[in-house]
Amino acid sequence: MIKGQVISGEFGKIIARQKSEAEIEIGELLVADSPNGKILLQVYDLIYGSQISQQNLEMISGMKLEEGTDFELFDANLRNYMLAMMKSLVTIRDRNAIVSKSLPNVFSEVREIKEDDLSFLTKPKNALFVGNLRSGSKVLDVPIYLDGEKVFSHHILIAGTTGRGKSVLVSNLLWNSFGRNFGILVLDPHDEYYGRNKIGLKEHPIKENIVYYTSKNAPIGTNTLRINLDVIKPHHFDGVVDFSDAQKQAMSLYYKEFGDKWIEAIILEKPLSIESAFRAETLIVVRRRLLYLLDLEFANNQLFCNGVFQLNSGFTTISDICKHLEEGRIVIVDTSNFSGAVELLIGSLIANEIFNKYKYYKMNGLLNSKPVVSIVLEEAPRVLGKEVLEAGPNIFATIAREGRKFKVGLTAITQLPSLIPREILANMNTKIILGIEMKPERQAIIESASQDLSDDDRTIASLDIGEAIITSNFARFVTPISIPYFEDVVKKTLKGKEEVVMEFSELG
Amino acid sequence: MKFAHLADCHIGSWRDPKLKDISTLAFCKAIDKCIKEKIDFILIAGDLFNTSFPRLDNLKTVVSKFKQLKDLGIPVYIVPGSHDYSPSGKTILDVLEEAGLFFNVFKGTVENGKLKLNFTIDKNTGAKITGILGKRGALEKTYYEKLITEHLEKEDGYKIFLFHSGIDELKPKEMENILSQPLSLLPKGFDYYAGGHVHIVDDKQIEGYGRIAYPGPLFPNSFAELEKLERGGFFIVEDENVKWEPIQIYNVEKLEVDCNHLSPDGVKNKILEHFKNKELNNTLVLIRLNGTLESGKPSDIDFKEIFEYLYNKSAYFVMKSSHAVSSKEFEEVKTDARNVEDIESFLIKEHLGQIKLENLTLEKEEELIKNLMRILVTEKQEGEIVPDFERRVKEEVSRILELEL
Repeated sequence: MIKGQVISGEFGKIIARQKSEAEIEIGELLVADSPNGKILLQVYDLIYGSQISQQNLEMISGMKLEEGTDFELFDANLRNYMLAMMKSLVTIRDRNAIVSKSLPNVFSEVREIKEDDLSFLTKPKNALFVGNLRSGSKVLDVPIYLDGEKVFSHHILIAGTTGRGKSVLVSNLLWNSFGRNFGILVLDPHDEYYGRNKIGLKEHPIKENIVYYTSKNAPIGTNTLRINLDVIKPHHFDGVVDFSDAQKQAMSLYYKEFGDKWIEAIILEKPLSIESAFRAETLIVVRRRLLYLLDLEFANNQLFCNGVFQLNSGFTTISDICKHLEEGRIVIVDTSNFSGAVELLIGSLIANEIFNKYKYYKMNGLLNSKPVVSIVLEEAPRVLGKEVLEAGPNIFATIAREGRKFKVGLTAITQLPSLIPREILANMNTKIILGIEMKPERQAIIESASQDLSDDDRTIASLDIGEAIITSNFARFVTPISIPYFEDVVKKTLKGKEEVVMEFSELG
Repeated sequence: MKFAHLADCHIGSWRDPKLKDISTLAFCKAIDKCIKEKIDFILIAGDLFNTSFPRLDNLKTVVSKFKQLKDLGIPVYIVPGSHDYSPSGKTILDVLEEAGLFFNVFKGTVENGKLKLNFTIDKNTGAKITGILGKRGALEKTYYEKLITEHLEKEDGYKIFLFHSGIDELKPKEMENILSQPLSLLPKGFDYYAGGHVHIVDDKQIEGYGRIAYPGPLFPNSFAELEKLERGGFFIVEDENVKWEPIQIYNVEKLEVDCNHLSPDGVKNKILEHFKNKELNNTLVLIRLNGTLESGKPSDIDFKEIFEYLYNKSAYFVMKSSHAVSSKEFEEVKTDARNVEDIESFLIKEHLGQIKLENLTLEKEEELIKNLMRILVTEKQEGEIVPDFERRVKEEVSRILELEL
């Protein structure tokens, strides 16, 4: 269907007149056929055009409004119309897409995109389905895949205002990652992904691919989150809990002297062999903060553990989680019962362990056989925010900077990308952008995007619920997508799948 | 109520002639202790035997002990473990149960594809016992996932659950690589969870569950276990008290040698010096070496002399672990090979002659290694199911080795 005709403009701002009965939307994909191939265009703005001067238009409107004059324009379709501002995304030749370097001819017709035009969008290696291609508000039957290994290791940023579909998108990404050998750690502060009491990832037929840790009332088959105190080292608090230098030194001295039992030693007030290393008050504060943070209790000269951190269990939890990730599983840690600091401490424990393991694998030439690992961080500025990082580096910032070399990436979710330093934002090579109302937030994304989004401010502002655009080093162009409802995805996967009937042959 | 909780007897596990009867001996000692303690019943939480068909001499001794218990009216309740269960059901445990020597409590029915366990009630005490067997590769996990728990949890009375699995939340750091399952798979509300499979001595009260106990093996099953545990044992449970009863067969004397900055002779002298004034009668001696030798290779350490010395001091059995000791001397291998096959071929030739077999010439050995590598590198073909793939590889290997596998 012909939608309009190119009339003027410049590179990056091609102007087309809209055909009278056609309707063009912001974000719509159009095609202009040219001798060099098909040019894929995207509409980023719409304005009115008219053959009647502005002054006369105002007069005509006034006559109708003020005097009720009934009038009809001759050749109304010729005189008043819409103008669409478009940018070229790629030039398609046969099944190849290349960066556009020329303009379509003046008066080239622009037409609606057809699925055939997109045959160059092939399924990449390690395909990760992110949604269907969207042209304006119309969803095309063209699945969009990204190379999961590349996008996960080079970090993903998911940005959008509350209620625009971030959680649905993440649920979909996780669902589509099942059985694809991606190790994904989800720190879930809202306990929303596993689906304890609703439809969630637990419904997936490849059940062995998901591991769920929760601190309270673990559903059957899931793990109770218990972490042994011996696993915690002083550096795990870096960038997670704000200890002063003196407090950090005190903790390090205790670790040096008591090894894995350093926390117990501080709580039980065991003396250090070196005297007067720091002021007594320092240790009192460290002790008090550790007791509070780790939910420990000291009574009758005994240490009691009330929370997730334990003395007699959880010896292998962190290493088990890393093992699951290395085996390409999705590990969800329900952190909804914890304070932010405890959640981040747990995240820091796991992230440190897996990152160090992967560094070791790289050093020993074993990295190629390991799956990519991604750590999903909700409200990412809590650990990647400018203010947090000014206080000192943490493992998440280290992963953001260096992780891709070791196949460890972040999937950072936020509604406030402007709080994340530009350097880290720029390192997030794939950005999935949902509707963002606030200009500074859009600006932060636009300035750090992998592709030129300078004209897409309005497009981003006008994204509806479930609509997103993807900008990625691993996508041919800024790709508009539609995010399907998670429940529909689940139903579609489970349709026709029957539960395997087991035999209990050894039953007496 | 007083009962004994044994697990991981692994009868027939040690292969060395001097140790082959040691686990049977430990079993007999444990049963004698149970009789002496006048316990009401015995629980065995899996791996009574090391295989589903143990050696006859061991079996005979074990059967006679079970018979003794039966005659004394002390019932034994078991679940099969990962070593002595058999997917086909063909296991000696079935024969012994059929003979009335013990009760396998993994009993129940299948309802709508779910597993409904029945309780076995101990006549003397009224204790209600049920449990789930252990399988290789922790495959029993699927049984737990299909387990109907409501009726088990609602049942009144003193309830015991026998299981043969590791629990993720409870396993110790050094066992992080064993397959285990989450605590949440166990049915809740039992008074005593009699565990096996994980060779640790542990006993914990877990909120929402009850007492979860692992008595450890009846006799340590490996060098590392001997080093760590030194001896095996079992629990005697009386009311709320759980007491671990050690089974002492031999003394254990262990030595860890740091080989850093030592020559092979230096290591030998250090070991001999250590044991110079030790009494080793009836003792298992364990020597673990680690570190990097200052000179020479680990194989230069004269273990023959060390062993002779220790046996002359009446040690019952001497074991060593030297895989963690390394040498500073590297042998550089130079090759101008250009591809993987060339390098493989070169390395094979470099190492020929290390397998000592009659009629195995170097040429035959090279051919054998290459053929085995070729077969073992085979991958499962598109559409080929695992059993067919395994059969194909087995047939090929058996043809090459001229053995019936």
